[in-house]
Amino acid sequence: MIVINLDVMMAKRKMSSGELAKRIGITPANLSILKNQKAKAIRFETLNSICNILECQPGDILEYRED
Amino acid sequence: MEQANKILRYTKITTAIFIGLVVVADIFGVVISRYIANFWAEKYDNLSVVILTTIFYVGTVLAYVVLFTLYKLLTNMSKDIVFDKDNTNLMKRISLACLLMGVDCMVGTIAWSGTIYLAVICFFMTLIILCVRAVFDKAIAMKDELDLTI
Repeated sequence: MIVINLDVMMAKRKMSSGELAKRIGITPANLSILKNQKAKAIRFETLNSICNILECQPGDILEYRED
Repeated sequence: MEQANKILRYTKITTAIFIGLVVVADIFGVVISRYIANFWAEKYDNLSVVILTTIFYVGTVLAYVVLFTLYKLLTNMSKDIVFDKDNTNLMKRISLACLLMGVDCMVGTIAWSGTIYLAVICFFMTLIILCVRAVFDKAIAMKDELDLTI
């Protein structure tokens, strides 16, 4: 399964959920869906914004773990 | 959008009119079924009249189920609740009622073979509604996926 480590990166960059959601341009509710592993898919556009704002690579956010 | 709302409004009005017609048919049920037995089926024995009257009233009860469920479905749609599990459940109820109406009409062939045409229409309607329901189920699944794409 794919795990989203957004919390870890946000903690490293000391950024709150509200601020990140605002800067990406999505609602805090949608960011919460992403953080809580409830999302079924992520747009490249969203991933690009997250990487740009958190100054990281997609691999820092997405991780594959065996079920 | 305005066109769709207009269609929904007119369909709701038509459904309400049909409910009224079924009420009238219920009031004159005995007379109507006797007329059908005597003039359409050309049966004059009491047993045929009783069978046709019973079939008629069972049919109207199922017609109430179909019409009231359809009214609820249209109300949901006019409130912009379209791709919802509740709607597919309502469609399931309508298709089941149509199927039972078909069976009811098939039983009616004991007294008059003419009811077989109604039975065929009811069975075909059941299939159409089940197809629409399958489309709605697929649309709900796609909507869920889209809602969870961030």
